[in-house]
Amino acid sequence: MKRTLAILLATGVLTLVVARTFSLDDDPIQSLTDPDPAFSELFERYQNRSPFRGRIFIEMDALAPGDRAALESTLRDTGYREEPLFQTPSPEAVLALAPLLPANDLRVILGEASIRRRAEMALSVAGLPGGDGYLAALESDPALIGQALLARLSRASSATPGLAPRMFRSPTPMDYERVGKVYDALVALGPSLHFIGGDFFAVENYRAVKRDMLLCSTLSLVLSLLIFFLCTSGWALIGLLLLGTAVSYLTGLLAIRVFYAHVFGVVLAYTSTFVGYNNEALVHLSGIDGRDARRSLLGVWSAIGTTIIGFLVLLLGRSVMVRQMALASLGGTAGFLLFLVPYRGVLRSAHFRELDWPKVTVSPWIVGAMCLACTAGIAWIGVPRILTRVDDFRFQTPALDAQVAHFSHALDALALENVVAIQVGGSPSAALAELGALGVMDVSRHPLASWRTAQEQEDSLQVLREEWPRATARLVTVLGEAGIRMSPAPHAFEELHPLSEWEFLDRLGALGPVRWTDVVGDRRFVFAGLRAGTSRPPGSKIFSMNPRQHYDALLTGLSQELGWLFLAGLVGMALYLGYLQRSAWRVVYVFAPLFPSALAFAVYARATGAPLTIVHVIGFSLIIALALDYTAVAVSTDHRALELSKVFLTGLCSLATFGVLVLAHHPVMRELGITVAIGCSVSLVFALFVRLPARVEGAS
Amino acid sequence: MVALIIAAVLAAGPARLDPDVLRARYAGLQSLDAEVVQRKEGRFWARPFESQIRLRYTPDRIVWETLSPVHSTVTIESKRLAITDASGSSRELGATAGDPRVVALLGFFKALITVDLESLNRDFAIQYGERELVATPREGAKARLFESIRLQFDARYDLIAMELVTKTERTHLTFRALERVPPLANGGAGAPP
Repeated sequence: MKRTLAILLATGVLTLVVARTFSLDDDPIQSLTDPDPAFSELFERYQNRSPFRGRIFIEMDALAPGDRAALESTLRDTGYREEPLFQTPSPEAVLALAPLLPANDLRVILGEASIRRRAEMALSVAGLPGGDGYLAALESDPALIGQALLARLSRASSATPGLAPRMFRSPTPMDYERVGKVYDALVALGPSLHFIGGDFFAVENYRAVKRDMLLCSTLSLVLSLLIFFLCTSGWALIGLLLLGTAVSYLTGLLAIRVFYAHVFGVVLAYTSTFVGYNNEALVHLSGIDGRDARRSLLGVWSAIGTTIIGFLVLLLGRSVMVRQMALASLGGTAGFLLFLVPYRGVLRSAHFRELDWPKVTVSPWIVGAMCLACTAGIAWIGVPRILTRVDDFRFQTPALDAQVAHFSHALDALALENVVAIQVGGSPSAALAELGALGVMDVSRHPLASWRTAQEQEDSLQVLREEWPRATARLVTVLGEAGIRMSPAPHAFEELHPLSEWEFLDRLGALGPVRWTDVVGDRRFVFAGLRAGTSRPPGSKIFSMNPRQHYDALLTGLSQELGWLFLAGLVGMALYLGYLQRSAWRVVYVFAPLFPSALAFAVYARATGAPLTIVHVIGFSLIIALALDYTAVAVSTDHRALELSKVFLTGLCSLATFGVLVLAHHPVMRELGITVAIGCSVSLVFALFVRLPARVEGAS
Repeated sequence: MVALIIAAVLAAGPARLDPDVLRARYAGLQSLDAEVVQRKEGRFWARPFESQIRLRYTPDRIVWETLSPVHSTVTIESKRLAITDASGSSRELGATAGDPRVVALLGFFKALITVDLESLNRDFAIQYGERELVATPREGAKARLFESIRLQFDARYDLIAMELVTKTERTHLTFRALERVPPLANGGAGAPP
C-alpha cells in the first residue's frame, strides 16, 4: 500500500512537471527543413516574407451587411487585426522606379492637359471631409508617377483575378477554441464566402486529434481491460496496467520534452497506443514459471530488445515527428519497466487462464520457402513507390478543400501559385527566357517584362529632369488659383540612374508583398511563377517555393530515408535475435509474418495505385515493435500453452489498441491503425497456429 | 403660475443628448437629403474655403455634389469612390480598393451621416454633451485620419452641424433643408423627451 501511495505521489509530481513544461504544436510539417542549408534558408525567407504566413484572408463582399458586421465583430473579439494587403511605400521608393515609364508616357503625364485634369481631381477630392489626406499625397508625388507605375506593373502581371480579400493578422498565441468559433462562423455563412489561412487547418487538425485522443484512448483502454480481465480473472494486473500506463504516458512526454520544446498534437494522439506496449511487457513479465523461467525470459528479452531496436533506429531519421514518436515510445517503455520493478512479487504471483488449441507444425524449410515466395511475389508485383504528400498529414474537410481550390485558382491567375527560385549566374531575363522556351512559363507575365533597356530608361530620365520641375510648378500655380496652397519638395532626378534587371526586381520586391530576388551566400536567385499544371523542369538550379511541392518532396525524401533505416533496423534485430536465440531458423520464424504482410500491402498498393507513405513505414516499425513479439515469445518458449495464452491476450489487446484507430478522423492515425492491425493479425495467427518442429524450437 | 412654468423652463437649460433616443431616431433611415454649407481651413488652404453641397444618402450610396465654387460629384458606394470633376470626366479611385484604411474611411462617412452610433463607437470614444456628441479616435482605430469629430443636433435630434478635425485641416459642415425618410416623428416612439 505504501509502495502504491509513493508511486501515486511520484505520478502526481510527474503530472505537474509535464503540465508546466508541456507545449503543443499543431503542425508537424513546418518543422521539416531541407538538407541543403542554402535552399532551406531561401525557402524560409521566401515564406517568412509571404503575406500568407500568420494571417487569414476573407472575401466578404458577397455577404449581407448584417452578416458582414457580425463577422467583423467576431474576428475583432477573437483578436484578429485587419491589415492592408499592400503597405503604402514611401514616395522616394516609388519614384526610384520612374525610369521604367516610357518617355512618351512621361511627356503625357507631365503635359498641360494632365496637369489640368489632376488639379480638377484634387479640387473635387479636397472638397470632401478629410480631403487634405489626398492633397498631402499629391504634394509628395505631384505628377502621380506612383499611380502610373502601378498601372504599368499591373498590366504586366495581368492582375485581373477579381480577388478582393481582406487580410487579418492572426492572434498569438493561438487559442484553438476561440479560433474554432471564427471558423464555424465562416463555414456557417455558406459557400458564397471564401476564406483561407493556416489557422483553419490548425483548428481542424486540433479538433480531429482531440477527438481521436479521447475516443481511441478510451476505447482501447476499455477493450484492453476487458480482454485482460477475461484472460487473467484478477484485478492486480489490471491495476498495474492502468497506473503503469499513466506513468509511461508521462515519462514518454517528458522524454520528448528533454529534446523538444513543443510536442506535436499527432504524437500526443499516438501515445494512446502505449497501453498496447505496456500490456505486452506486463503480461510476458508476469506469471513466469520457475521451471521454464529461462525460456520465458528469452522470449521477453527477444520481444523487448527488438522493440527497443526498432525505436532506436527511428531516432536516426531527420523527421522531428517520427523522432518524437520514437522518444515517446522509448520513454514510455522505460517508465513502465521501472514502474514494474517494485511490483516484482505481484508479477510472479500472477495467473493466466491456460488455453490450448491444435497447431500446425511446419518444417523450417517451408517457412523459409514461404518467405522467399513472398519476396519473389513482391518483386513480381513491384515494390510500391514511396511518395508522401503533405495532405497525408493534414486533416482536411470538403469545406476547406473548396476554399483551397478557390484561392489556388485566384493565385494561379496572379502567377503566384507555382513559384520557383532559379539560381542565375548572369542575366535573369535570359534564365526566364529558357523557361519560356520550355513552355513552362509565360515570360510576359513576369514583372521583368516591364523592365526597359538602359538607353530607354535614360531617355525617360531625361524627360523627368527637364519636365518634372516645370509641370510641378504649373500644378502648384493652377491649384493656387483655386485657393489650394501646396509646396512639393524638389526631386533629385539627377541622382537617379537606369536600373539593371536585378536592381529593378529588388526594388519592386521591396515595395510589394512578393519577393522577386534573393541572395544566399554567393548564390543569386530570381523567382518566377510557372504555368498551372506544369512542373519544375529537372535541374539542380531550380527550386520550388510552393509549400505543397516543397513539403511533398521533403516528406518523400524522409520516407525513403526512413525506409532504409527500417531495413537497417531489421538487420540489427536479426543480429540481436541471432545472438540471443542461437538459431537461424528461429530468427527466420520470428520475421516470417512480415513477409506475407509486405506482400499483402504490395498487392493492395498495386490494385489501388496507393503509394507507400511515411505513415506506412512507421507502421511497419510498429509491427516489428509489437507483432514480432508474438513469434519471438512463441518460438522462444516452445509454444508452451501458458506463453501462447499470454501471446493470445497481448495480441488481442494490440488489435484492440490499433484497431480502434480505424475510427480516427486524423489520416495519420487511421493509416497507422490499419497498417499495424493488418501486420498484427498476420503475426498473431502465425504465432498461435504455426510452429516449428520441437527439435528446432526446443534447441538452445 | 405662468411665471413659475417660465422659471422652471429657464432653470432646466438645454437637454443633454440621449444616445438611446438618438439611436432610435436614426434607426431604419432609408434616405436623407440635405443642403450643406462647408467651410474648410488648414495648411493646404490659402484662405478659408467655402462650398455649397447637395448631399444625398441612401443605404446603397452617398452622393456628395459640390455646387459651388467648382461643380463636382463624389459618389461613395460600399468600397468604391467615383469622382466626376468640373470638366465632366469621371474617375474611380480604384488603386486604393482593398486598402482597409480607405474602406474604413468610406464606412466611417456612412456611419457619420446616418449617425450610426454602434459603428462610430467601434473606432471612437463618444462623449455626449448638450445637443452634441464629440468623438475622439480610440487607440488602433481604423479611421485615424480624424483627430476629433463633433456632431450637433437641434431639439428634434436633427443633425444641424458637424465639425471634423484632422492634423492639417478643420472642416465645418452646416446642414440645411434636411429631408429624411422616414420623417422624424414629433412624438411617440423614438421622439426626444
